[in-house]
Amino acid sequence: MSTATGLCVGCLRTLDEIAAWGQMSPAERTAVMGQIKLRKLAKSHEKAS
Amino acid sequence: MTQALPSSMRFIERDWLSANQILFFEDDGSASVVDTGYVKHAALTCALLERLLGGRPLTRILNTHLHSDHCGGNAALAQQFGAAILVPSGSFQLARDWQLEALSFAATGQRCERFIPDGSIHPGQQFNLGSLAWEVHAAAGHDPQSIMLFAPAHRILISADALWEDGFGVTFPELSGESGFQEQQEVLDRIESLQPTMVIPGHGPIFFALDSALARARARLAWLKEDPVRNARYALKVLVKFIMLDLEQATEALLIEQLGSAQVFRDASAQAGLSAEQALHWSLESLVKAGALRRQGELLISP
Repeated sequence: MSTATGLCVGCLRTLDEIAAWGQMSPAERTAVMGQIKLRKLAKSHEKAS
Repeated sequence: MTQALPSSMRFIERDWLSANQILFFEDDGSASVVDTGYVKHAALTCALLERLLGGRPLTRILNTHLHSDHCGGNAALAQQFGAAILVPSGSFQLARDWQLEALSFAATGQRCERFIPDGSIHPGQQFNLGSLAWEVHAAAGHDPQSIMLFAPAHRILISADALWEDGFGVTFPELSGESGFQEQQEVLDRIESLQPTMVIPGHGPIFFALDSALARARARLAWLKEDPVRNARYALKVLVKFIMLDLEQATEALLIEQLGSAQVFRDASAQAGLSAEQALHWSLESLVKAGALRRQGELLISP
């Protein structure tokens, strides 16, 4: 976990998202995947700037 | 048909380096956990459990078997929460004495922080977890000492690496010429006779379609039995990918240092008719071709 962002450096999920993942419905998982996509974008922008 | 987990249970789905955790809330306010992941992720496992425990004391850790991806968080969890560690009876003394070779850590080139088991569980035993009665069943094949847990009232099976949604764990005993396929067959027969409606595997999501999972596992077992070199090649790729998940990036020279003297890797190489160096090279090529690894100059990288 990154102490700065609170995200897993590997999968870009929060602790709560990882803890709940096993019990999520497919729709909930898709929603988290969407969030991860946004985080990835934000991360690559950070790197670029 | 899907089915909800009983309210006293939580399922933490992890990955291929760390096996899944199953957390149980007991009537007396305490909690128990089955399997603890790989040592590299021990801090994350502690943090996940702390979050889900919400202040409850974790009093028991159970292991389905003592492979490094299932018991690598034992030491950290026992230290942080003071939990007692219960292991399969066949592995108890080895773990007490921390016999590295016999425990499979050194023999696979994998790591595990030393822990001290406090007690054992054995097939045939009844066990209460999360205020539910669980039967302990033998699950040899992947590991001769492995157990699985079955709750008859809810027809839930905790299958460890004996049955996944698509396949099962490497049949390790066969690599050194011991019997494993027959035991794997017996485990699948036992699972079929139990007829669970919900299976919580050691890796991957919970699944409900037992018949199709058993059919895939049986087809795979028949394919492996037909030519045991297939089991050896599968083992080689699994061992290399596992080390790469641990190291994240490495040169071929470092990998041969890690795996070349590991007995299980040597056995699998010999069974595949290759030297350890050839076996490593072949595994890397296969994993790169499959997209499970990529090469960047001298470096192999786990994506």
